[in-house]
Formats: sequence, structure tokens, C-alpha cells
Amino acid sequence: MSQSTSIGRALDDERAFKYLLIAPAVFVILLIGLYPFIKLILTSFQNITMFDDDRSFNGFIHYARLFGDDRLWESLLHTAAFTAAALPIEILLGYLLALLFLDPMPLKRLFVAVILLPTVISPIVAGSTWRLMFDHRFGPINQIIAFLAGEEVKLLWTVDPFLVWPAILVAEVWQWTPFMFLILLAALSNVDREQLESAQIDGASWLMTFRKIVLPAITPVLFVAVLIRALDLVRLFDVIWTMTGGGPGTRTETISIYAYQMAFREFEISYSSAIAFLVIFALTALVIFALRRVEIAR
Amino acid sequence: MPNLQLRNVDKFYGGVHAVKDVSLEVPEGEFIVLVGPSGCGKSTLLRSIAGLEEISSGDIALGGRSIVDLPPRDRNIAMVFQSYALYPYLTVYENIAFGLRARKFSDGDIERQVKWASEMLAIGDYLQRYPRELSGGQRQRVAIGRAIVREADLFLLDEPLSNLDAKLRDGMREEIKRLHKQLKKTFIYVTHDQIEAMTLAERIVLLRDGIVEQQGAPLELFERPKNLFVAGFLGSPSMNFIEVELEEGGAALRLPDGQSLAWTGSLTLAPENGEFIWGVRPEHFSVASGESSDLEALIEVVQPTGSRTFGSFSLAGTHVVAELDARTEVAADRKIALNVDMERTACFDKLTGEAF
Amino acid sequence: MNRGAKGWRLAARLACAVAVAAMFLFPIYWLAAISIKTPEEIFAYPPVWIPSGFRLDGYATLFRDGDAWAVWNSLVTAGVSTVLAMVIGFIAAYSIVRFRTGGDHLAIWIISQRMIPPICVAFPIFLLFVSLRIVDTYTGLIMLYTAFNLPYVIWMMRGFIQEIPLELEQSALVDGLSRWAVLWKVVLPMSRAGFFATAVFTFIFAWNDFLFALILTRSDVITYPVQVTGYFGSQSTFWSKIGAMSMLGVLPMIFVVGTMQRFIVRGFSMGAVKG
Repeated sequence: MSQSTSIGRALDDERAFKYLLIAPAVFVILLIGLYPFIKLILTSFQNITMFDDDRSFNGFIHYARLFGDDRLWESLLHTAAFTAAALPIEILLGYLLALLFLDPMPLKRLFVAVILLPTVISPIVAGSTWRLMFDHRFGPINQIIAFLAGEEVKLLWTVDPFLVWPAILVAEVWQWTPFMFLILLAALSNVDREQLESAQIDGASWLMTFRKIVLPAITPVLFVAVLIRALDLVRLFDVIWTMTGGGPGTRTETISIYAYQMAFREFEISYSSAIAFLVIFALTALVIFALRRVEIAR
Repeated sequence: MPNLQLRNVDKFYGGVHAVKDVSLEVPEGEFIVLVGPSGCGKSTLLRSIAGLEEISSGDIALGGRSIVDLPPRDRNIAMVFQSYALYPYLTVYENIAFGLRARKFSDGDIERQVKWASEMLAIGDYLQRYPRELSGGQRQRVAIGRAIVREADLFLLDEPLSNLDAKLRDGMREEIKRLHKQLKKTFIYVTHDQIEAMTLAERIVLLRDGIVEQQGAPLELFERPKNLFVAGFLGSPSMNFIEVELEEGGAALRLPDGQSLAWTGSLTLAPENGEFIWGVRPEHFSVASGESSDLEALIEVVQPTGSRTFGSFSLAGTHVVAELDARTEVAADRKIALNVDMERTACFDKLTGEAF
Repeated sequence: MNRGAKGWRLAARLACAVAVAAMFLFPIYWLAAISIKTPEEIFAYPPVWIPSGFRLDGYATLFRDGDAWAVWNSLVTAGVSTVLAMVIGFIAAYSIVRFRTGGDHLAIWIISQRMIPPICVAFPIFLLFVSLRIVDTYTGLIMLYTAFNLPYVIWMMRGFIQEIPLELEQSALVDGLSRWAVLWKVVLPMSRAGFFATAVFTFIFAWNDFLFALILTRSDVITYPVQVTGYFGSQSTFWSKIGAMSMLGVLPMIFVVGTMQRFIVRGFSMGAVKG
């Protein structure tokens, strides 16, 4: 029997057909998803560094090391704090923008397109652009501040330990507020019009309408958007890489930057694997917790 | 007395003239139905009264006071929406209480009012449920409950029954009429369904293309339609229109297929050259019992409904439906003799469509 | 509310919209301006706000030095991987929706793959690529982007395919089409708007990736984001090249937003609304 006829028959047999369709995807995801994950766990129990290639079981030494690693906890703190700072700002600005564009307006499509642009460009380009913007001498930011303040300023945005995080925050908010904006715009336009009109006739105040009708309606969407953005912020890498490289010192090192440094600069392969496993474990726990909370709320 | 007055109301949507110079006087306590085909401007008119649409020109007054510059909340009206617009994240109780809470009623008053409304509508058992847990009919009651708890001057209902199935609709229709009797408030009801209009209204306002075609008591519109459109819109199955010619002397009508029948009706205004459109309602045909009959027809399709039987035939190229007694034997593809209740037929001008 | 107040409200909203749009656009304007400025203008103090002319020297240098190949590499890897991910993801999503293959668990496992930060699996993937000898090759990068976009494609297409009425497929089966033909002649055309939106996003993800390109390329298939970071030297920063190379990466995105805004809006909001 030739191969083509056996495939032909498989196509008609529902059972074989459905597995045939999903096989390539599962193969690719297993290869690039599951294999590295298993490899990662194995490596974290071995002792592979730049100088050593000890593949025997070494127990939990790398996991034990995690607890004493101040630089690791600092980078995790940076990541968490930055996420906690960026998310509310993005939500608030995104919501205000969505309100601005909710009703029809001339040139709305053009405005939305312009606002959309930052989200679709590469984070590397965004970071580079803001690094040039924030350049203390040739960048426009200091000029604008000087104009507003009425005196010359020389703020070292990408070097000064107190200014680097605000600078990165500006870049990140600039790039990702449009994402929140679009999602909230979609969610707000899906709020039932007749419900809003009914509330209007019932005489509800703006606040009452928002709390009782709008907020409950957009909450599920907002939750998913926040989850997506939070996961993005945890992997924050590109913008920091271009703007500060994690510096000054380790001042802007996020968990992703730190893990990269450990793996690809210091070749602490096994230790970086332990870090990676910790991150994956923590994220999984966090997401499951968040999803549970939502289910309970429903 | 809060009677409602609409004076020369116009509404444009961009270039579309949706409501054209509509004037209307609604005394307090009347049940008025705005009816017409979709796009006739009836919903726009209702939403303008509610304040959800801004009118382009004209005036709307409630109790002698213009309300066009008032936001919806200050007009003291209640409205039932087509989709019911129940707030999905609030219980039935809170849905009904919503308008009272917005107006800062005390908890005691709210409880009393909600109890009163829920008893009136027999929804007391569902107060702690959410809208999604209710059937269509129950949601409909909640929507009505939410409207009646507030002491509104005016009740606006926008196609409230169109999302219900036929059986429920019949029941709710009766209930709405009973509610109106108890509340003694002004109801303005929008529908595209002529049966709802006929059964509910004290006065029907029939709209087409933003213009009031005719208004009056339901039977008045039914019996004396002003034009072809009104005649065709009310009644189901609708009135049959046949082109006829009045024979010289005015004693007989000649149909295009050559049949002629004795004319006993009267025409106050004789049409030129004797041609006009003759309107006969299906129920004004009957099977001829004796020797004499008005016309003969070949029945093509028979639709018995139990109480009445509809027979369709074509008369000189026009499709005609006759509503016949269910107990008379009528079979398809048979010629039968029919009588026409001449006194109750209508005559319309061939060119303008106006009734003579 | 009278008409005058309404007019003022619209004017105020328009003014806000213009201000907001200007704020979001300015950094990209600045980047574009740098790419066409003369070196003197770039390093002028105070900065030059509007370039005096339209000089393409920065771009010319990129093409002369061969750096512009990075854009080509990005195009090839992003383009080919998008096609692969869409085909593989589309049929997998269909299998999951129509036959509930693997139940809910498989679908959730697939989407959870996207949750893992790339850096966490970067090193094992690097080792895998070394052993497969596909570091710094088109094959390697294309394979990686395909795999990394698959969960997204499957998740999105799942939502779009769910919207197609089952009767339509059954009617086609009754009419004598094979299952395979139904897939391409009924399901694909019915979901083409969603398919296209997903493809646009898949392309954008691959086009904008930096981390994997950084790790898995050396010189032959370097992509444009890696090339851009190469111009930030420890001693000197090549502003003109950064501007020009970045703009080469941004211009296709401006084109995408300009012509396919509808799909981008749909893609963004679908991810959250449907998810």
C-alpha cells in the first residue's frame, strides 16, 4: 500500500484525522517547549559552569544558593516593584484614553493609529529611542524640562541611580499604554448601550453608573489584560538592555537581565537553571492563584 | 396635570430626516401606541421623549413645561427597553431598587416599593436571583418592575414584547393592559406589531417615514383607514386590494378578469373614469349559500387554523385571501362562489392611495 | 444639553486627541529626525528640533557596510516562521475546537507555554541548537520563532474557529467534501479575518524579537534589533546608524499600522476579550 493512500484514509477517519492535525504543533512545542524545560530541571541539579562540566547529581546546592543571593532578590524586587508601578499607570492612562476616544470623533482612526504605533515597534527600538531622548546633552527631554523650569538642567537619566527607573518607566508606559487603551476601548464599547441609557433614565450618578454597570462589565477583560501585561513585565529585558544594560551597577537589573548575565556572561549554567526554575515555578503559582481567585469571584 | 405635548418635532440623523414635523397631544393616563414598519421613526420619537436623543427642532413639554433641555434623569420618566437592559451584576431586588437608590430613597422606602412592585408582577420569589438565572418572561417582568417602582409621570415602553415567544407575548399583553388600568399613568408604547397596537392602545399613532399617517382609536383606524398604507398595515391577514372599474351608471363593479358584481356601496366622490382600488378585508368574504353570489373564484391554497379557514385565490392577477367559516367545506382547486360584505369594503384613489 | 456645549465638548476632545497623539508620536519623530540629520545636527547643543535637510547618508552607510542585511534576515525569519506557525497552528486549533483533541488540558498546556519568560529556557534551547548545529542559521531561528508563536496562534485561531457554525461544516460534508477539503475550503475562508489578524501579530512578534536573536545568532543571520544594539559601543555611540537601522525596523510597522489597523485592533482586543 502506498503512503499516499494510507494518508488519504487517515484523512477520512476522524480519529486519526484529529491527531494528524495536531501532531506537528505538539511535536514543535515538545521540542522547543518541553525538552528545554526538562533539560533545565536536570541541569539545575548538576554542576555546570564555565570551568566545570560535572553532570552527576549534585542535590539542591544551587537551590540553596538562591536564598543567599542578594543580587537575585534585589532583581526580583526590582521586577515586582516596577510591575507594581507601571501597571496602574498604564491602566489609568489607558482608561482615560479609551474614554477620550469612546464616542465618535473626526479622524478617530488616524489618532488611534498614531497612538498604536509604539506597541508594534520593537522594544529594542523603543529603548534605543528613549535612550537618545534622555541623552543628557543631545536629547530633547532635558531641553523640554529646562524650558519648563526656566533654567538649564543636566539630568543624567540613564546613569543617575535615582533617575534610571523613572526613565525606564516612561519608556515602558509610552510603549504599552496603547495596549491597555485598545483593550479598554474594546471593553467599554461592548458595555450594553441600553443598560447605560436605562441607568441614565433611572437617574444614576456618574459614579454609580461606573461602579454598578461599567466596572463589572469590563472587569473580566481588564483582568486578562493585566495578566498579559504582568507576564510581559516579568520578562522585561529589551528596554533595560538598551537604556541602561542593568546599570548603574545592578541598579536596574530585573530578573530577566540577571538570569541572562548568569547564563551567558558568567556561564553559571546550573545556577542560572535553578533561577529559571524558580521563576517558572513562582509564575505558575501566581497565575494559578490569580485564575482561582477569578473563578471564586465568578 | 402632566400631559405630554409634542410640537413640530423634527429629527435629522446627518442627512436622514427621521422624524418629520410630528405634533402630538397625550392627555394624562392615556395608553398610546406608536406603531409602524421598521425605520418609521417611532423609536426615535420615543427616545427623544426620554431624552436619549436630542431633537433637531420643535418642542416637547410635560405638564406644560418644556423638557427638551433636561437630561433624562430630570424628566421623571420610566422606560422599559427592548433588551430589558437589566443590570447583569445586580440581583433582581437591586435592579428594581436601582432607580430609587439613585434618587437616595431610604432603605425602608426602597424595601416597601420593591415589595409592592414585585407582588404586583408576581416576581417576589426571584428577588435574590440574578437576571441571567431568569427566563425571558421573568426578565420582562423585572424590567417592568424597575419602571413602575418609581413614581414616574410617563411610562415609555420600547418594543417590550418583541423578545418573547408568541404564547408569552399574549399573556404579557394582557398584563400590561391590566397594569395600565391599575397605575392610571400615561403609557407610550412602541411596537411594529399591529396586533399589539390594536389590542393595547386607547389611541394608535401610525407612522411611516417619520410622518404620522393616521391617529385615532384602534377600531376607527381599522374601519376607516385614511389611505392604502393604513388599510394594509392593520389587520392580519391584511386587506386585499383589487383594481376595479365602476361601470357606467355606477350600478356594478367590473373586475379586470371580466367578472362584474352589483355595486351597493356608496362613493361620496366618484373617481375619474370610474377606476379605483377596492379594499376588501379577508373576513368580509363569505361562501355563498343560496343561488345568488357576488363572484366566483378558483381556490388555490387552503389554510385551516381551526377557528377560521383561509382560502387563497387569484383574482385577475391579484393574490386574494378570504377568511371563511371553518365548517364550510372548502377544497383546493375547486371553484367556489363568494359573497362580499359590500358595506364594509373600502375604496382608494388609484393615484394617491387616499380613501374616498 | 444645547448644541453649543456639544460643539465645545468635541473641540476639547479633539484638542486632547491631538496633544496625546503628538506625545506618542514625538519619540518616533525624534528617531526619524536623527536618521536624516547631519552629524553636526545630531551633536548640536542645544539640539536641532527640525533637520535642515533630508540626508540619507545614515541609510547609505548601512547598505554600503552590508549592515542592512540584518533587515533582510529579519524579514526572512519573521516571514517564513509566520507562514509555518499559521499553517501548523491553524490545523491544530481546528483539531482542538472540532474534535476536542486532548480535552481542555492540552489547550491549557499549550497556552501556558507562552507564559514562560524566554530567558528561562534560553540556555537549554541554545544547547539544543548547538547539538543540532543550527545556531546562526535561518533554519534555527525560523524553527524557534515558529515554535514560540505557535501557542499564540493556536489560542487565537481557537477563538475564531469556535465562531464558525458547525452546520456549515456539516453541510459541506454532506455535500461530499472530505474533512481535509472542509478545513481549507470552508473553515479557512470563514475565519480569514481572524487568520489574517493573527498572522500580522505573529509577524510582529518575530520581527521585534531580540533575546533569541541575540543568543542564537552570531553573524550570518543577525537580525535588525541585534544590529541596533551593536551600535551602542562602550566608547562611542553611533547615533546616525542607530537612527537609520531602527527606522528600517519601524517603517514596515508604520506600513502595517497604516494599512492593517483593523486587524491589529481586532488582534489586541481578541486576545483579552476572548481569552
